[in-house]
Amino acid sequence: MMAESHDNPLEAYVRAALTLQGYAFDEAEIAEIVMQFSRLETIARTVFDWPLPFASAPAPVFRP
Amino acid sequence: MGSAADIAQQIAKGTRSAAAVLKECKALIEARDSDLNCFTAKTFQRAEREAAGIDDLHAEGKALPPLAGVPYAVKNLFDVEGMVTHAGAKINADNAPAAADATIVARMSRAGAVLVGALNMEELAYGFLTENHHYGITRNPHDRTRGAGGSSGGSAAAVGAGMLPIALGSDTSGSIRVPASLCGVFGLKPTYGRLPRSGTYPFVNSLDHVGPFANSVLGLALSYDAMQGPDSADPACAQRAIEPVGVPLSLPRGIHIGILGGWFHEWAGPAARRSVQLAAAALGATEWTELKSAEVARAAAYIITGAEGGALHRPRLIEQYEDFGPASRSRLVAGGLIPASWVIQAQRVRRLAYSQALELFERFDLLIAAAAPAVAPRVGQETLLINGRSIPTKAGLGVLTQPISCIGLPVCTVPVWPGEGDSPAERALPVGVQLIGAPWREDLCLAAARALERAGIAEVRAPPSAL
Repeated sequence: MMAESHDNPLEAYVRAALTLQGYAFDEAEIAEIVMQFSRLETIARTVFDWPLPFASAPAPVFRP
Repeated sequence: MGSAADIAQQIAKGTRSAAAVLKECKALIEARDSDLNCFTAKTFQRAEREAAGIDDLHAEGKALPPLAGVPYAVKNLFDVEGMVTHAGAKINADNAPAAADATIVARMSRAGAVLVGALNMEELAYGFLTENHHYGITRNPHDRTRGAGGSSGGSAAAVGAGMLPIALGSDTSGSIRVPASLCGVFGLKPTYGRLPRSGTYPFVNSLDHVGPFANSVLGLALSYDAMQGPDSADPACAQRAIEPVGVPLSLPRGIHIGILGGWFHEWAGPAARRSVQLAAAALGATEWTELKSAEVARAAAYIITGAEGGALHRPRLIEQYEDFGPASRSRLVAGGLIPASWVIQAQRVRRLAYSQALELFERFDLLIAAAAPAVAPRVGQETLLINGRSIPTKAGLGVLTQPISCIGLPVCTVPVWPGEGDSPAERALPVGVQLIGAPWREDLCLAAARALERAGIAEVRAPPSAL
């Protein structure tokens, strides 16, 4: 299964990120998380495709 | 039971006691909640103490506070002294009881309101249904085969069923407005930062709002005024003075109201469009306009929600994954893997969308749009079909609310009964309308809601006698 994930960058990213963040899941759980992350990636494309001025600032979150 | 304003007035006049109101409220809860599953806990001993305190004040001839003797309950993510704050999750069941009330619960108490319990919600406030894996499904008071919406489903359903005149909830992406729409009640999501969230269980700090549901606009206004004010314990709470909306709420002459088209029209089904049409006609709104960044603002809200929610719960997801509900755990983990570059881009989009909304408010005082794309879906319904397009129910119910909460604008959702649908059952269900204001203009949102209430366009209807 791991070898196959090299053909799928999204799955490879999810597997690597899970390991980096300290998660340990079985293959069924990983498949579910890959599916959920794929949905997020589809939505994220809308955000990336939106034209923004180069210098536009992020919305503030931290308030001193 | 009556509205909050009527109850407070009757108690002040001595025609009704707080104890009598509480007794009636308890009877309604006992009679109706077993069918709907709104309450996760009841605080009747506390309620009896609070009601007795109000009756003592009246007997002593002292002035009563504005919500004297008005029963209310809170979504179970608000801290209530002596109770465990579950936030709809099993992972919190063994937590210590709250040492104090959440700030706005304490403010409601100071205003004389009587707390009767805690209400069901979607697990960790993540979702637009209240089909809670641990605490059960909250059903719609107008059709028990349908859901109440979420995540504050218990709050909306309890008000819609006539058990309470007021309830409190939270709204990250639509969790007040969607269930208010589906259950046919009034709901207020104030401007981001208006009401303090200290003592509430967080979900997405940069998007979380709190606010009231009510069976009347004056009930919303009275509770909103009681909860306002700065609070240094919540860093997102605006440190601005209380700006009471007061009563009566009058819509200023010459107000200019725009109808949101584009995204908001495309994703509004026939019943939702009819609700908007009825509200627009009653308010004299004829001009259509567009928030061009609505779709991308919704996407940005998704990314921010996933990333913040996933990061917040990561330690518990690692150690207690099986204790999370199956509908939320894999979504939370996936959200926690979102790269920083996506989140930064989403926050940049958010600022741009906010700027575009402010430009609209140079032309309009208020904007209106449907609060949900359709009437309440059936429990377990997987998809919504909106104008020929299919969308998963779980995500689709928030399609019209997420772009607005992403940029923190105040919204009053009002219950409208469009009479549209494929069956008599559907034609008897509400679809709410969002009255959207510029930042800090809750007064205009509530005044427009009151105008619709006076015109008979927006109203809370009694649930079917089958209850």
